[in-house]
Amino acid sequence: MTSWLVSRIEGFARTQPAQRAVTEGDRVLDYASLWTQANAFAAALHEERFALGDRVALILQNSLEAVVATYGTWIAGGVIVPLNAQAKARDFGPWLRHADARVVVHEAGHGDAESAIDSLPETPLVIVTGAGSAAPGARRWSELLADVPQHAAIDVDTNVLAMILYTSGTTGRPKGVMLSHANLAANVQSIVEYLGLVATDSIVSVLPFYYSYGASVLHTHLAVGARIVIESNLVFPHLMVETMARERVSGFSGVPSTFVLLLNRVPLDQYDLSSLRYLTQAGGAMAPVTTTRLRSALPHARLFVMYGQTEATARLAWLPPDRLEEKLGSVGVAIPGVELEVRDENGRRADAFAVGDVYARGANVMLGYWNDAETTAGVLQDGWLKTGDMGHVDADGFLFLSGRRSDMIKTGAHRVHPKDVEEVIADLAGVGEVAVIGIDDEVMGQVIKAFIVPQAGTDVSTDTVKAHCRERLAIYKIPKFIEFVADLPKTASGKIRRAVLAGSDLREVS
Amino acid sequence: MDHKRQIKQFVLKNYLFTEDESALSDSESLIRNGTIDSTGMLELIAHLEKTWSIKVADIEMIPANFESIDAIGAFVARKIAA
Repeated sequence: MTSWLVSRIEGFARTQPAQRAVTEGDRVLDYASLWTQANAFAAALHEERFALGDRVALILQNSLEAVVATYGTWIAGGVIVPLNAQAKARDFGPWLRHADARVVVHEAGHGDAESAIDSLPETPLVIVTGAGSAAPGARRWSELLADVPQHAAIDVDTNVLAMILYTSGTTGRPKGVMLSHANLAANVQSIVEYLGLVATDSIVSVLPFYYSYGASVLHTHLAVGARIVIESNLVFPHLMVETMARERVSGFSGVPSTFVLLLNRVPLDQYDLSSLRYLTQAGGAMAPVTTTRLRSALPHARLFVMYGQTEATARLAWLPPDRLEEKLGSVGVAIPGVELEVRDENGRRADAFAVGDVYARGANVMLGYWNDAETTAGVLQDGWLKTGDMGHVDADGFLFLSGRRSDMIKTGAHRVHPKDVEEVIADLAGVGEVAVIGIDDEVMGQVIKAFIVPQAGTDVSTDTVKAHCRERLAIYKIPKFIEFVADLPKTASGKIRRAVLAGSDLREVS
Repeated sequence: MDHKRQIKQFVLKNYLFTEDESALSDSESLIRNGTIDSTGMLELIAHLEKTWSIKVADIEMIPANFESIDAIGAFVARKIAA
């Protein structure tokens, strides 16, 4: 059978061909055009002797092309590998090699993507979107999709791989979450059920499709024949709210920092947002005060607090809006088709209110990490996913999270592995030792701080460090704060004591 | 120093961490190329307001006024003249 998500698009292309599926500024894809273009993309891949299971890397901001390439790849029986378009060549190279991408789609003039492709042992098929410059040998999107014969969707087993999402590993050890068509279908169906999504819904999305949350927003809406309105960024948040009002959208999804920005910078009461039916929030805990402010600013919209992770496709738990006030601070109960369990240190189900490790089981749990059986075995145990999160359930079975057994930094919608930043800073001449942590920030949740021990007799400045990072790291990974210290606190075995650093006095140097 | 040049030096220093003027062309998009994010835009606007004693209204916070050094320079010139 064909992929369930693909079959949904095919169905809507027949039953509601003129209904808008995706809009991006003035550009619109209705369901008929989405289906036609996705088939043309699939046909173009097959003309290049594309084989079942081949990987197509997408280095694209949210765009119509990103949607077409995703569904086109699935029609062709391939696997999409959406990569963070803000990343740098030092990330793209390892990802593309690790995924062994046969095809790379990127925006014209993306220098870091071009450098990474140049470094590959075998040149993939490169497809370039937009009108800017393209490297020799690259194919133009517009030419590729013109005049190619249509392609019938390939039948695939639903358990085969559909997507690899790289989570915040390090460049030395990329972590590619493998999601099957069945994983995607299961999670989409659960979310559609509890959000009550229907074809008349529409949503503004600023969440990148290359993250599980953004991908989930995209696929849940397309799976019901609804409409997704792409907004490129939050630099001008009032413009996004204008779009929400003008387009009369029924939904909006964000991470905590998205809602803080909206509440702090946009006079929401000056816009007609009466069409909003649902708001979804995931991507880390939102401060209860923000939740309360949001409810007060948009009382007619139902606020769905959700929890999940990429390894579970996207969602694991949801807090029914009518229990929000009563269970403030909880991430709710398991979504349909998922079991959640808190286990004590002996691996037994913990009693109510006892904190332990959160485990999950369901058809949405990943197949594993791509080409990494060892790391997979560490998190997939006896059919359960060890989430890495700590928490407890209350007497009513509502889950409350209380931390994570990892040093991962959450800043805005992003996850950053401290080692990723430390590796880059350590490469700079004059840096003796470095440790990176996340520190609390009112808007972003956390921002990055680096502690640097300079080598004796050297002169390293904050500007030198930041400029060095800017060349090599995505903008959100550049440390906001840098503190030069004489030494780093360590355990007897030499491991850096990050908790001690997190308690250190903050000194802004920028 | 003309105001456009001063704006450019602020952007170079605070977002590109350099004083090398060749690191950024005056017509380059600061938003699309990721030079300035949401927080950075607020910092830039605060700097403009303080430096030239102007007030940037919500309605003026649009890409046409802040897309590039050229656009910001022209916007500030209009505000000062107003």
